[in-house]
Amino acid sequence: MAAWLVRRLAASIAIVWAVVTLTFIIIHLAHGSPFLPEQGQDIDPATLDRLRHDWGLDRPLPDQYALYLRNLARGDLGLSFALHRPVAAALAEALPNTFTLAFTALILDFAFGLALGVYQAARERRFGDIALGNVALFVNSMPTFWLGLVLLLVFAQRLGWFPVGGPRDPVLCPRVDSLACVADFAWHLTLPALTLGLVGAAGTARFQRAAMLEVVRQDFVRTARAKGLRERRVLLVHALRNALLPLITLFGLTFPFLLTGAVLVEWVFAWPGMGRLAVTAILQRDYPIVTAAALVASLMVVLGNLLADALYGVADPRIRVRAT
Amino acid sequence: MESYGAMPTIRSSFELTAAALAGLLLVAGCARKGGCTGDYCGTLVIATAGEPDILLPAVSDRAITRDVTEQVFLKLADLGPSGNTIGDEDFQPLLAERWEWDTPTTLVFHLDPRARWQDGRAVTAADVAFTYDIYTDSLVGSPFRPNLRQIAAVTTRDSLTVVFRFRQRYPEMFYDAVYHMRIVPSHLLREVPRSQWRTAAFGRAPVGDGPYRFVAWRAGESLELAADSTFFLGRPHVRRLIWRFTPDQQVAVTQLVAGDADAVEVLITPDNVQRAGADTQLATYPYRGGAYGSLVFNLAAPGDTATPHPLFGDRELRRAVVMTVDRAALLHNVFGDMAKVPPGPMSRLFWIWDPEIRELPHDSARAARTLTRLAWTDSDGDGIRDRDGHPLAFRLLVPTTSAVRRQYARLLQEQFRTMGIDVQLDEVDFSVFNERARAGRFDALINIWNTDPTPSSSIPQSWTRAGFGRSNYGRYEDPAFERLVDRAVTSVGGRDEAKRTWRAAIEILNQDAPAIFLFATENVAAVHKRVADVRIRPDSWLALVRTWRIPADRLTDRDRVER
Repeated sequence: MAAWLVRRLAASIAIVWAVVTLTFIIIHLAHGSPFLPEQGQDIDPATLDRLRHDWGLDRPLPDQYALYLRNLARGDLGLSFALHRPVAAALAEALPNTFTLAFTALILDFAFGLALGVYQAARERRFGDIALGNVALFVNSMPTFWLGLVLLLVFAQRLGWFPVGGPRDPVLCPRVDSLACVADFAWHLTLPALTLGLVGAAGTARFQRAAMLEVVRQDFVRTARAKGLRERRVLLVHALRNALLPLITLFGLTFPFLLTGAVLVEWVFAWPGMGRLAVTAILQRDYPIVTAAALVASLMVVLGNLLADALYGVADPRIRVRAT
Repeated sequence: MESYGAMPTIRSSFELTAAALAGLLLVAGCARKGGCTGDYCGTLVIATAGEPDILLPAVSDRAITRDVTEQVFLKLADLGPSGNTIGDEDFQPLLAERWEWDTPTTLVFHLDPRARWQDGRAVTAADVAFTYDIYTDSLVGSPFRPNLRQIAAVTTRDSLTVVFRFRQRYPEMFYDAVYHMRIVPSHLLREVPRSQWRTAAFGRAPVGDGPYRFVAWRAGESLELAADSTFFLGRPHVRRLIWRFTPDQQVAVTQLVAGDADAVEVLITPDNVQRAGADTQLATYPYRGGAYGSLVFNLAAPGDTATPHPLFGDRELRRAVVMTVDRAALLHNVFGDMAKVPPGPMSRLFWIWDPEIRELPHDSARAARTLTRLAWTDSDGDGIRDRDGHPLAFRLLVPTTSAVRRQYARLLQEQFRTMGIDVQLDEVDFSVFNERARAGRFDALINIWNTDPTPSSSIPQSWTRAGFGRSNYGRYEDPAFERLVDRAVTSVGGRDEAKRTWRAAIEILNQDAPAIFLFATENVAAVHKRVADVRIRPDSWLALVRTWRIPADRLTDRDRVER
C-alpha cells in the first residue's frame, strides 16, 4: 500500500510540474503583453519598459522559469501584475468560492444522477425511463454556459425568483454572519450550482442506469429476491452498492469537469471564483495568476483521481487487496 | 423484461427540494431591516464592468479606479459644470479654498484649514508637494506623469500654502495643476519604497480626505464606501456607495434591470436604453461621452516604420477610401442615437467640437474616379480592383472584446466591397490587438480613444510625432498640422483664438485622411428613480455623487438597513 501511495504521489507531482511548466511556457510565448493600458488609454514606453524590468520580464525565459520554480519551492506564487497583490492572497479569496460552487454542484450532480439512474433502471423501458432518458440526453447535450444563460434569463430576469449574479446581496449581507445571510448565500448559489450540477447529473444518471441494469441481472440479486426481501431493499442495499464502482471512476472524471465548467459558469453568474480570476488573468496576460490557476487546477484533478482510487478500495475490497 | 416498481423516495425528494427552496426564499427575504431615517440614509449600488486594480490614484488610470478614488481622495480644485479647461475661472475649489497667480507662471494655492485625513490628521501643503513628487517619480511610473511635464516644481510656503511653478505660460496651466493629481497622505505613504507603490498595502485599504471612507473590498465581488459625516465640504447625502463588479457591462445592465443594482454608467446599446426606459423604476440621464472611434490607416509598412505602406502611404488613395464610407449610415446601424459622427479626432467632451469643421465628404462617385485615376481598376472582373496584378486589399485589425468594433468592421467590409476594395478581418484578443497596434503590425485597425476633457493631451499623443511608439499607431505626421497644434496648446490669446487654431489644425488632418473618424459616443446613464438631484459631469460621471440624495420618503428597507 505504501509503495502504491509513493508511486501515485510521485506521478501526481510529475503531472502537476508538467502542467505548470507547459502553462508557464505557453502563456509567456503567447502574443500580447501585460501592463498595456486598458482600452483607449495611453502608456509611456519608458514606463512600460520600467515595469517589464521591475517584474523581471526583460530576462530570458529560462531565467524567469528558474526563478519561478525557486519561488514556488518556497511557497511563493509571486505578485499579480494586474491585481497588484500577492497571487496567494488573490487565490485565497477566489478558491473558497469555486470550491463551494463545485462541491455544491458535485452533490447535486451525484444526488440527482444517482436517484434518476436508479429510478430509470427500476422502470426500464417504461414511460418514465424513456422520458427521463431523453430529458437527460437533452440536458447532457447542452453547453454549460448556454444552460446557465437560459436559467438566468428565465428564473432571474423573467421570473425574478433568483438574483442575476454575485455570491451575496452586498447591502443586506456583506458577510455571512446570520441565518438570513446563509440563506441569501444559498439563494445566490442555487442557479450557478444547478447549471453546473444538472449537466453532470444527466450524464451520471445514464451511467448509473447502465450500471444498475447490469447488476440487477446477477445471481446475488436474484437470491436476495428469492429470500423475500422487499424490492426497495434489494435495489438500494444489494444492487446499488455494487453498481457504485463505475460511478467512482466517474467521480474522478467529474472533478476536472466541474472545475473547467466553473470557469464559464462563474463568468455568466458573476461568481468571484478561480474561473473568473483565471479568464481575466489570461486576457490581461497576468502570468503569475494564470500559472497559479493551472497549478491549483492540476492539483485538484490529481487529488480527485487519488480520492477516486482510495474510494475504489473502500467500495471493493478486492482492489484494496491488489493494491497492497 | 421484469420491472422493479417505482421508487417512492424520488417523489419525496422532489418535494423536499421544493420545500427547501421555498424556505430558502423565505429566509433570504427576511434579511435584516434597518432603522436609519432622515436625509442621510440611502445606499447606492452601482453595477460596473471590471474592478479597480489598486486604490492609489497615482498608479492607476482605470476608469473604475477613478470612480472609486474620486470619492476617497480630493483634488485641489475640479472642473466646473461648463467643462472649460482654459484658465481658472470655471474651476471649483475642493482642497484649496482659494488660489492666486504670483507671476504668470507661479500659482499659489491656499488649502482649506478644515480639510482632514480620515485618521484625523490635517491635510497640509506637504501632502501636496509629496503627491507631486510621487506622480512625477519615474520609479513610481505614474500614467499621469506626462501630463505634469510643464510643472517645474511644487513647494510649500507654509503648512497651508503650496506653490506651483510652471516652465512656460499656456492656457491650461491651472487644469494641469489640479486635474490629474489626487492628493495622498504623506504621513501614511512616505515609508513606502517608490518602486513598490504598485503593490502597497495602502492601496487595498486607503485612508483619504474625501466625502467617503473606505469600508471593504471583496475581490471579484464588491467594494463599499461609507459617507464621512464630518466631511468639511458637507456631509454626503447617500450614506453608502457599493460597487458590484460584473464580468462585462451587459451583465451590469442586466443587474440594474433586475433590481440588483441602482445605477450604471452607460447603457451601451439602444436596446438597453429602451429596456431601461420601459422600467418604471429607472430614470435615464444622457451625457456627452469621452470616447471616439476611428479606422486608422497604417502609413508605414507593417512592422517597418522606415518604409511607406504600399497602399496607405499614398495620400490620394487614403482620401478615396475615406470618401467611400458612409459614416452616418454606419453609426445609425450600430449606435442609433447614442453617438455622433465626429468632425475629426475628437470626443464629445472636447470644447473644440464644431460640426462646421471641413471634412472629406461621403462621395462614392468621386472616390471611384480617384481610384480609377490611380489605376486601381477591376481588370479581371472579380469585383475587386487591382493594379499591376495586385488586388486593392488590406487587413483590418479589431479586438474580439469589442462588439462595437467588430460590428463596425463587418459593415465597413461590406461598404468597401461595393467599391471594389477587399477587406479581411483580423480579430484578436485585446492584448494582442494592443501589442500589434503599438508595434505597427497592421494595415488598418479600429481603435477607440478615451479622452480627457481637453484636446491638448490626447490629440498630440495620438496624431503627432510625439505619439510615435505610443498611441499614434498609424504614424501620421504633418509639420503644418503639428505647428498649429503646438500653437493651439500654447497660445495665450484666449479660448476663441485657440478654437480657431484647433479648427485649422483639424482641417489639415482631415484633408490628409490618416483615419476615418467613425463615432463619438453619447452616453446614457441609468439611475433608480428614488435617487434625486442626480447630476452627471460628463468627464467623470460620479464626480458629483456626494450631492445626489435619496429623500426620506423614498427610502427603502435596503436604504435604511444598519450594520
